[in-house]
Order: sequence, then C-alpha cells, then structure tokens
Amino acid sequence: MSRSSPPAFACWLLESVLPDLYREAILGDLIEEYTLRTESTSRLTACLWFWSQTFRSVPSMVWSSLRSRDCLISVSIAVGVYIAMEILQYAANLSISKWVAPTPATYVVLAPIVFLTACAMGGCVAARIRTGATKFLALMVMTTVAVLIEQKACTIPVPWWYEFGFLTLGPLTVIITPTLFGRFKQQGAVT
Amino acid sequence: MALDVSFYWFYIVEEMKRGELLGSLEHIILLALVRLDGDTHGMIVRREIEERTGRNISIGAVYATLERLEAKRYISSFIGEPTPQRGGRAKRLFRVDAAGKRALEVSEQTIRSMTAGLKDRWRTI
Repeated sequence: MSRSSPPAFACWLLESVLPDLYREAILGDLIEEYTLRTESTSRLTACLWFWSQTFRSVPSMVWSSLRSRDCLISVSIAVGVYIAMEILQYAANLSISKWVAPTPATYVVLAPIVFLTACAMGGCVAARIRTGATKFLALMVMTTVAVLIEQKACTIPVPWWYEFGFLTLGPLTVIITPTLFGRFKQQGAVT
Repeated sequence: MALDVSFYWFYIVEEMKRGELLGSLEHIILLALVRLDGDTHGMIVRREIEERTGRNISIGAVYATLERLEAKRYISSFIGEPTPQRGGRAKRLFRVDAAGKRALEVSEQTIRSMTAGLKDRWRTI
C-alpha cells in the first residue's frame, strides 16, 4: 500500500455496501480527503479517519438504501437468484447421487464443492444484474445455512469447522467471486 | 462536548412529507450548499459543516441527506469529471434549486415566529 492509497479493505467494504447511485461519489470524496490528510498528518491518522468514516457511513447508507425502492429491487433479484441457486444445487445433488455411489463420505466431500460452486455462480449472476443484490444474496445464504445448522439438517456426523465453513465461506464466495471475476475481466481487457 | 460527539455519531433522519419543515441535518446541509454558492460535492459540504458548527458528520450521513433532498427536488446533481486524486472516480456535484430556497425560507420563517419573544424565558431556565 503506497502512502496515498487508502485502506483496501475499507474501500472494498464501502464498495459492497454503498448504493450504486452514490458509490463512485462517496468513495472518490473519501479518497480525495484521505490523500489531503496524508499530506498534512501521519498516514496512521489518515487511515484512522478513513476507517471511522467507513464505519459511520455504512449505517446511514444502508438505512437510506433500505427505505428506497432501490433496495426492494435488489432484494427481488437476490430472491430470484437464490431460487435458481437452490434448483441448481438440487439438480447437482440428484445427478451425483445417481452417478456416484451415495456414501456419507462422498457426500461430505462433494456437498461443499456443489455449494460453493452454486454460491460463486449465484454471486456472479446477481452482480451482473445489479451490484447491490450480492449483499442480500450473501445474507440469504448465511441465514439459510444458520437455520439448517440450528435444525441439525445434516444427519452425517461432521466436525464443527465443517458447518462453520459453510456459514462463512458461502456468503464470502457470493461477495468475493464477482469482484475477482471483474478484476480478471479488467486485466484481460487491458492486455 | 463529549455528549455532542456521541449524539452525532450516527445521523439517521426520518423522511418528511412534502411541505413539512426541514429536518435539522437537511436544514444545515441546504444552508451549507447556499453558503458554498455553486456546484459542490459532498466532502466540501461535510467540511463546511464541520468548520462552522464543529460537528464531525460522516460522509454517508451527508450523502443520505443529499439523496433525500434530491428526491424532494430541493437540490439537483450532476456527474463531474473523474480526477487522479480521487482514484479516477467522478464527483457528484450538487446545487440548490428554487424549491430548496423556498423550503429554507419557510423553515426560517417558522423558526423565527416560534422563537419570537422567547429570549427572556431562556435566561430564566
């Protein structure tokens, strides 16, 4: 990270949360002010200021987005993509149980692969339709996994980290895959 | 001062129906836009408020309020040129419209008429 570049994780967080309409403007304003602050104060002070602005801006923008129709459209897209993801997962699980011997060991290995692939595909599709829909999709995936863990839906005995992996990696895959895919696409366009 | 800082940590201002009085942050932001006189972006508005009132408002709260003011057609915005200082991101510039100036006048008149003759009472409280 160079002296004038703001904290990357804070930027990513803001990019994921801010509504499409003001994303560029808010991030640009923060980066501009951060650059000015690094010239007049220490980098640490400027970083702390950037993080404080990030944490304090997120609730206002999420609340504002929740009250607007923009949020309803994003939720509808997330619901649609989630249903498609579930159908895809169901079809994949059905095909696997037909072609591969349905032993608990096979299921334990293949289930995360199918789940994460569906999450990655869902994330990319949601982001392609509307960037804001990915955060709602990630929230839906997280809630469903949490409910399934609570209901003890998995009949095969598995260690805690296996279920925890579904709970954390699923939503993260939904959010991160479109970002990575977008970067690869940009690099491809440049070269 | 500590109380003020904790109070203004997050700004969540309820939306008002058209024709009602401006919210406190809406009022302050409209005044800042008038004071800055011209097309200006969110960070300049935030800085102006901080310099004049000492309130350290988040940029998110400023833009959330600007969004509401724009929805009420009190202000309008347009996209500016992207600059390298902003990481190649474009500015969104805001200006006060005639409806915004009218809303400010109505708000000022209401506050003036409600506070008329109260100075002596404040001294006794």
